[in-house]
Amino acid sequence: MASATQTPPAPAEATSPIARALKDELGEGVLKVEEFRGDLAVTVSPQGWVRAATALKTLPELDFKLFLDLCAVDHLDDEGRPERFEVVLHVYSLSGKHHVRLKAALPEREPRLPTLTGVYRGANWFEREAWDLYGIVFEGHPNLTRILTHQDFVGHPMRKDYPTAQRHVLHEPQRWLLPVPAGSEHVVVNIGPSHPAMHGTFRVQALMDGETIVDAAAEIGYMHRNFEKMSEVRSYWQIIPYTDRLNYCSSFMNGHGWALAVEKLMGIHAPPRAEAVRVILSEFSRIMDHFVCIGTNVVDLGAITPFFYLFRVREEIYDLLEACCGARLTVSYVRIGGLAQDVPPDFSDRCRRLVESVRKYTDETDRLLTRNVIFARRFKDVGALGADEALDWGWVGPCLRGSGVPYDIRKDHPYSGYDQYDFDVPVGTVGDCYDRYLVRLEEIRQSLRIVEQAVARLPGGPVIVDDKRVALPPKAQVYSNIEALMNHFKLVYEGILAPAGEVYGYTEAANRELGYYIVSDGRKYPRRVKVRPPSFNIYQPYPEMIKGHLLADAVAIIGGLNIIAGELDR
Amino acid sequence: MGILDIFRGKLTDPTACAGVHAGGDIVTTTVDAVVRWGRKSSIWPMPFGTACCAIEFMAMTASHYDIARFGAEVLRFSPRQADLMFVAGTIVDKEGPVLKTIYDQMPDPKWVVSMGVCASSGGFYRSYHVMQGIDEIIPVDVYVPGCPPSPESLIAAVMKIQERITKGEQAKRPQGEHRLGAPGDGAIDRRYRRAFWAKDDAERARQGLPPRGVVPLRVLPTGPDSESHHG
Repeated sequence: MASATQTPPAPAEATSPIARALKDELGEGVLKVEEFRGDLAVTVSPQGWVRAATALKTLPELDFKLFLDLCAVDHLDDEGRPERFEVVLHVYSLSGKHHVRLKAALPEREPRLPTLTGVYRGANWFEREAWDLYGIVFEGHPNLTRILTHQDFVGHPMRKDYPTAQRHVLHEPQRWLLPVPAGSEHVVVNIGPSHPAMHGTFRVQALMDGETIVDAAAEIGYMHRNFEKMSEVRSYWQIIPYTDRLNYCSSFMNGHGWALAVEKLMGIHAPPRAEAVRVILSEFSRIMDHFVCIGTNVVDLGAITPFFYLFRVREEIYDLLEACCGARLTVSYVRIGGLAQDVPPDFSDRCRRLVESVRKYTDETDRLLTRNVIFARRFKDVGALGADEALDWGWVGPCLRGSGVPYDIRKDHPYSGYDQYDFDVPVGTVGDCYDRYLVRLEEIRQSLRIVEQAVARLPGGPVIVDDKRVALPPKAQVYSNIEALMNHFKLVYEGILAPAGEVYGYTEAANRELGYYIVSDGRKYPRRVKVRPPSFNIYQPYPEMIKGHLLADAVAIIGGLNIIAGELDR
Repeated sequence: MGILDIFRGKLTDPTACAGVHAGGDIVTTTVDAVVRWGRKSSIWPMPFGTACCAIEFMAMTASHYDIARFGAEVLRFSPRQADLMFVAGTIVDKEGPVLKTIYDQMPDPKWVVSMGVCASSGGFYRSYHVMQGIDEIIPVDVYVPGCPPSPESLIAAVMKIQERITKGEQAKRPQGEHRLGAPGDGAIDRRYRRAFWAKDDAERARQGLPPRGVVPLRVLPTGPDSESHHG
């Protein structure tokens, strides 16, 4: 198709003040500035890597304080590039409301780059991941070890020349995560991965002095099921079911984010009806996610009643999703450019009834918990994290808002028509577990407001864009018309052929910012899909946060952070 | 109503249980059969939930589907107190030894439900870090298909386990031991499958049979009988 040969627009050094500021700082260190679909990408030399990142963070006119993502890309067999690897950093400026992508190309032999852990603390685990999956050495990193795969693993699996399905069996788990001082009388407590508070897949080891945690270390990777590697051998459509399983508490939102990212890459927009339905179902999914978070959190603290209350209303939301697409949990309802099919005729009525029901259960949970003395004592002033630190670790979403930063992508970078709806962004003051709980509870109510407005003015019309590159023709035409038949065949057989280029699509998912960084070289399969894993950033400071707390508080904190294994380990 | 009434068939038909005979007011049975009957109605499950399936597992235990109706609501998070393990979710190679340890810690007799396609076969994650079915390392009694299975099918799995308990059946060996660590083929690499097909075709050719999947053309009999079909 014609789009496959489309080239990215010409470099735009002169137009961007960010690029100009970086050029003033680094001079010849800035190798290339590109802009594609509104994303600014600056390539710097490996020598200027740390200086560029420091400038981005500290220069007052740039102010890129929020660390988002760091990943590697393998450009094997790409003739246009002299170097095989590329390391990519995404950061965001809250004051400038702008994302920037910083890149450095690395050679195939001994790919090395200085570490960014001194600039952004959140880069620590991301660099370990890039080492684990791509074998890129970060010089000066405090602990460059495997993070997602296990210690007996051989090779770097995300490299293009690693066979997709080559496994290595682990016989013995890693016994010690912590260095225990010799002669110490402290006790090491191992929590997880099979522990109810750890939700099956996280592992923490704590060095205990009585009931108090002195030191802690976390291990992840117990759910690393290779979303990103699988995405490289799947077409853009086939990736939709995989996205459902990233954050399985609110599956719909992941698909929504993926569709928006691919639509950004293709330069298309879904029709208004599809966007409105996406907003409604996304907000219901957000509510479901917050319900699971609050419900399981209080179960971990010993109160089971709210769990039963909240799961009952979750079933009602499941019924709505099931009526739309036939699946309860893993919906796969979104398509690139719209939705799989139209909503059922009684959709609006169902939504209105559901809003009433959710409101009732939310109020009851509020009455049960918010002023409950035991609950408040377990939550107040536990696991507090300040705004600056939260930004440095890369927190976004309810957890960041709990720490007092009013950053909500739905407000600051509206997508899917969120700018048409009237809603407030709740913000905490202290940043403790109680604030995070209150923010979640208020977000449920704000989501209900959005749903009410969206249902009241639900537009008519088609639910998928009229574009032969992405949308299947109607079935009746396929059976009667040769052109539609060929179009159908080519789409199914060849898939969506996105133009060559790189985009970072981001949405406000239930937990925090869910971003997809897609590198396309114009073929059927994307070259690289990187999820900006929301839980990854949140879980990273967890061992730091629980130091000095009681062991029981560690359980309260992890429940309130709402870490989902599917998007933590992918 | 006394306890004997249960055996007299007022609630369940006792003769449905193996080793129970009833006639008139007299019930004869074996200790084994009574123990199994008791065991079947008081299953203590241990959820080994890792992924999406765990959410549906929670839905099954919560108020709407209410597994308490089948006597299996006492969730134990300690394997030492459980006799049924639900493996709900993808098990990756890193988690493998953990799963094995937890299984070994459960006291005998024990049963395992493999919930969802990921636990049963790796599902659509045919890749470098995903175990292609938990039966590579532990025995499985009931496989539940679905991604994730609906709570109804999970309840059906509990009832299947009850059946197995009544019959005294229990999986003893990991069914897929021989393919421990094998790469997930299928979607990615079909060479193994093709080699198998070629071997199978040769074997069938030796026996004078057509390859599998090829339906031989039916030769219509000729003669006066065949005319009658067309009237």
